[in-house]
Amino acid sequence: MTRMTRRQFLRASGSGVGALAVSGLAGCASTSGEIDPKSNRRVVVVGGGWGGATAAKYVRTTDPSIEVVLLEPNRKFVSCPFSNLVLSGVRGLGSLTFGYNGLREVGVKLRHEAATAIEPDAKRVRIGDGYLVYDRVIVAPGVDFLLDQVEGLAGAQDKVLHAWKAGPQTTELAKQLRAMPDGGVFVLTVPPVAYRCPPGPYERICQVAWYLKTNKPKAKLLVLDANQNIVSKAALFRAAWQAYPNIEYRASNKVVKVDAAAREVTTDFGDKVKYDVINLIPPQRAGAIAVQADLVAADKRWCEVDHVTYESLKHRSAHVIGDSTTGLPVPKSGTIANAMGKICATSVVHLLNGRPAPAIPPVNTCYSWVSDREAMAVINAYKIENGKVVQVEQKLTPGHSALYAQHAEGWAKSIWADVLGSGGAA
Amino acid sequence: MSRLLLGVVLLAGVVMLGAPAAFLACGAGVAPAAAGPLDQPGYVKAMTCSACHGAAGNSRSDAVPILAGLSPVYFKKAIEDYATGKRVSAEMEPFAKQVKLLGVDEVAAYFAAQRRDVTPVKADRGAVERGRVASAQCAACHGAEGQGGQGDPSKLGPAIAGQPAAYIKNQLLLFKADKRSPGDEPLTKMKAILKAIPDETLGDVAAYYSSLR
Repeated sequence: MTRMTRRQFLRASGSGVGALAVSGLAGCASTSGEIDPKSNRRVVVVGGGWGGATAAKYVRTTDPSIEVVLLEPNRKFVSCPFSNLVLSGVRGLGSLTFGYNGLREVGVKLRHEAATAIEPDAKRVRIGDGYLVYDRVIVAPGVDFLLDQVEGLAGAQDKVLHAWKAGPQTTELAKQLRAMPDGGVFVLTVPPVAYRCPPGPYERICQVAWYLKTNKPKAKLLVLDANQNIVSKAALFRAAWQAYPNIEYRASNKVVKVDAAAREVTTDFGDKVKYDVINLIPPQRAGAIAVQADLVAADKRWCEVDHVTYESLKHRSAHVIGDSTTGLPVPKSGTIANAMGKICATSVVHLLNGRPAPAIPPVNTCYSWVSDREAMAVINAYKIENGKVVQVEQKLTPGHSALYAQHAEGWAKSIWADVLGSGGAA
Repeated sequence: MSRLLLGVVLLAGVVMLGAPAAFLACGAGVAPAAAGPLDQPGYVKAMTCSACHGAAGNSRSDAVPILAGLSPVYFKKAIEDYATGKRVSAEMEPFAKQVKLLGVDEVAAYFAAQRRDVTPVKADRGAVERGRVASAQCAACHGAEGQGGQGDPSKLGPAIAGQPAAYIKNQLLLFKADKRSPGDEPLTKMKAILKAIPDETLGDVAAYYSSLR
């Protein structure tokens, strides 16, 4: 019927042995040529955030005969959701930091290395001089920042913080906030859509305002929003801000320049604003590797995908999930990335087993904390119609409350375990 | 979790033993469909629920209910009531509509077939003891051990043993205020009983049922 290559023969005759033999490989860098030749069907996942970690786990748990290699430079997973609570001091970053052991327990091979290139035509992922061959690649690189869109930002990254990828910058920004004099001005800038976590900046405004109101009653929070209005849950946030007269909100104020030495930002109207502490959330696009791999659309920013399989519309053997996607009527949220991870993993397993992928719509829930103990949420339900994701309904909680904060805690605990397995979320 | 892990390991063994012959038979390199979760009815349609309700519907958090082992009749009524707003929940109303579009029968069957892992959230011992005393009237519908009226199709009383305490308490408060499924005839008796019980005692009752195995 078909000629059997040496690799196919090895795969056919020794898949079980092969899977055992390579189990101790993780972490060896700077190999040249083919790294860890595959002995079975292999899925490589690029990026171990909400989408990538979920996808890696679900490919393994759905079909354990498929080898899964997850490339993630960081040894720890730090949750962006809830990290605004680190700024207010309500939570420590440690409570949002988890290991990847839960993924190892289900047989995912972790390599704490960065993919340096994806070659969709050759079906391989480069890691420095070496490369991994794959049958399917799931690309989940999250977002990168367009630093050059704000003059002076690229050269001032140690002083002008985004804290938009939870980690050291989150802790550092919290320190700057604590060190700010009472009576000082904290400037927070919101980038133009699309960006990661639509309600995130406004939740952060609540947390910073709550902290200032509680600890520095003479200080002010000045918000410069590039958008015409609050991007998400606008009425709910406006209601929540009633408790914080220390907020001054200016819509349609896009920051185009920052001068870290003078502690001053300039808007596109030419207005200059002085600050004591700045949190400049830069404009964003898909992670750099998606651009390198030619997965971004004509906008050069985000990746268009099939709404059922999450295959890139540009290279079908590559799937793209999470914040780097575009074209679906969904927010760039953790819940969506988690849902895409599961749905994409299921599609990959179906496709690798010669079955048509089932049409499963994602779900979305975004909780936002408005104080130290109250939260609210937006919920989105979807269906798939003619191969496209369509929203069935969007619903907001009637307001914010301690009950929704309890729900938010429940969501976080469940979804961290869903993303990372039990060995991750403690 | 250990049971789940064992399941995965066993499954892996089966697949690996089966794999060589299967690959040879296939020739072109496409393996046959793997047995396992994909072939469980409803698995794919219930998959996104795990974000909040946990793996196989076994929620590990205090405010989110466990769906594993719920009777399909109860599950479908809950989805219907959420979708119509009789059970008020900002979170579940949209998702109930989504589940109905996907196929509520399959999703209900999937969760009914999953083994319930009781909540890992520990209830306060004093509350459990007080709740044991206060819960005498509940057994008629929910069973002496909170196992529910599953054997009797005329009874909707769900299995509440091992559900997280915060979830049970929140529901009791909703029943007491007649905010959950108002007008439902089978619930009138329960709501009348709850009206006479102080909120703190409802917390004790919730702790008691949560502690049952």
